[in-house]
Amino acid sequence: MSRLSGYFTWKRADLAWALLLLVCTLGLPFAISNDYYVNVLVLMFLYAGMASAWNIIGGMAGQFSLGHTAFVGVGAYTSTLLYNYAGVSPWIGMIAGGLISMVLAVIIAFPAFRMRGVFFAMATLAFGETVRILLMASRKYIDVPYGLSINYEPGLSRMIFEERTSYALLTGGFLILVTIAAFVISRSYIGAYLRAIRDSEEAAVASGIAMRRYKMIALLISAFFTSIGGTLLAQYVLYIEPTSVFNMAISVDLPLMALLGGIGTIAGPIIGTAIALPLRDILLETFGQSAPGLHLVIYGIALIVIVILLPNGLIGGVRSLRNRFTSKPKPQPVPETAP
Amino acid sequence: MEILIQLVLSGILLGGVYALAALGLNLIFGVAKIINFAHGEFLMLGMYAGFWLMTLTGINPYYGAPLIAVAFFILGALFYTGVMRFTIYKPELTQVFVTLGLSIALQNLALMFWQADYRTIQTMPPGYASLMVGNINLPTDRVIAFGFAVAILTAIIVFLKTTFTGRAIEAVSQDLMSARLMGISPQKIFLLTFGLGIAITGVAGGVLIPSFYAFPSVGSFFVLVAFVVVVLGGLGSVTGTIVGGLTLGIIETLVGYFTPDLKEATHFVLLILLLAVRPHGLLGIKGAEKETLK
Repeated sequence: MSRLSGYFTWKRADLAWALLLLVCTLGLPFAISNDYYVNVLVLMFLYAGMASAWNIIGGMAGQFSLGHTAFVGVGAYTSTLLYNYAGVSPWIGMIAGGLISMVLAVIIAFPAFRMRGVFFAMATLAFGETVRILLMASRKYIDVPYGLSINYEPGLSRMIFEERTSYALLTGGFLILVTIAAFVISRSYIGAYLRAIRDSEEAAVASGIAMRRYKMIALLISAFFTSIGGTLLAQYVLYIEPTSVFNMAISVDLPLMALLGGIGTIAGPIIGTAIALPLRDILLETFGQSAPGLHLVIYGIALIVIVILLPNGLIGGVRSLRNRFTSKPKPQPVPETAP
Repeated sequence: MEILIQLVLSGILLGGVYALAALGLNLIFGVAKIINFAHGEFLMLGMYAGFWLMTLTGINPYYGAPLIAVAFFILGALFYTGVMRFTIYKPELTQVFVTLGLSIALQNLALMFWQADYRTIQTMPPGYASLMVGNINLPTDRVIAFGFAVAILTAIIVFLKTTFTGRAIEAVSQDLMSARLMGISPQKIFLLTFGLGIAITGVAGGVLIPSFYAFPSVGSFFVLVAFVVVVLGGLGSVTGTIVGGLTLGIIETLVGYFTPDLKEATHFVLLILLLAVRPHGLLGIKGAEKETLK
């Protein structure tokens, strides 16, 4: 622990950001009364939390996972099965799901950490799909219905609420928790190690960083929090099935949101979610009636344009703008050296 | 014994089809070092092209293949000039997300125009649906698709090895900087490769439609198959694609016969294991998996 705090760096702006986050997560649920907007808010908090969790392994460590839906699904299924069949409270099921996800993470890490870049992405993508297929195939041997619904009996111990506002507070709390974890990792020596690994694995290993250990730490934390997000999703929707929680779209959405805001930064995934989710909703509202799928066509094209124009996300764009106006000496691009 | 021969032959036919479906992906990866996550969507468009060609004009996609090839060559060239040109020296992440964005857009474009219906066509008159060789039963449309695969793969290998342009493509895929010093314009080669890769993918879709259903999200199945084939055979290697396709086809057919539920899982388990043990594939160039354009 002393090592964790030893290198810790604080910035003056941190306090302002923390206040903003607190106001948003604790204030907005009460400020908004329209049920539809509270629904958007709940999903935004939830996805922002999961995108931040993805960002720990995907952004800070640069290990571009496209299989996080496996953790979401395991979180959702573990808590729901435990609740429906053994009466275990989702609060405990949530932790159990997180632990199982960590075990899964260790299994996939064994082959996947040997790869980098887009091949890591392909392997994790295949991993996410494999978990879904195994789950669906296992129904032959275990008597579990295709879709699982949770009985609507509100209660704090059952993590089911009457008011959407309570869900907004719950998911808001989740977002705060993940953000704190991401903040601690990013500002401590672990974050520095992870960024070193991201920028050059060879250089990181040459400087004596135990690469596998730190990649593993990042993946485990990421898997744990993503899995908790899965439990919360199940408790909010109260119905899960293999194709809804084990869905490649989730695996794609999380990195996407991190990328839109600014990959590898703490605020990036939150900002990205705050843009992407409402954008999709607005597009659906505007174009949903005219033709099925039109809103996603526009969404896809918007993505392409944004990713090409702002490769470092919104935060990166703002930074480069600020650099241009304050006319600091431009940072020299570091020439990439061949391994 | 007979059943085993039947299974292996079916596997080879399926494998040829898979190789054809994956060739475009590997060609583009080999040259531009970009994994095209929208590859499956181009295949899906090719399937619809075959479908509409048959339904609207009555032209059998087997005869219409050159038409599809020309149309998809233009589409591929547009794909490069309109989208991929801007990502070519960018980080991998940008490339992944641009192609993923395109995949979302194309999938939903298909949904918009053609709804989520499963569509297929019959190209063979009734009674000719399968060929009997001794006691072995082979579906005719698969045999024809396999013929297309053999013809196209041979043509591509001959093109790459013997013509000047083909060698220029090989040169760029081996070493961009040296190729440039030899006076090859990478832009032109990229344009040509994207056109060629997408054209092959379109034709593959066109000849696949009689034996597979076309629907807007069919691409996500084929893109994973293509990943497995490419990784199995070797990144950037055309002969590797053939080997990879055949291996996957045979394994899948055998596993599917014994445990049908886990047929799909074999793809992914194979992919993960391969990436871990032999990331450059059976025939690929060692280290190809670590390459990026510099």
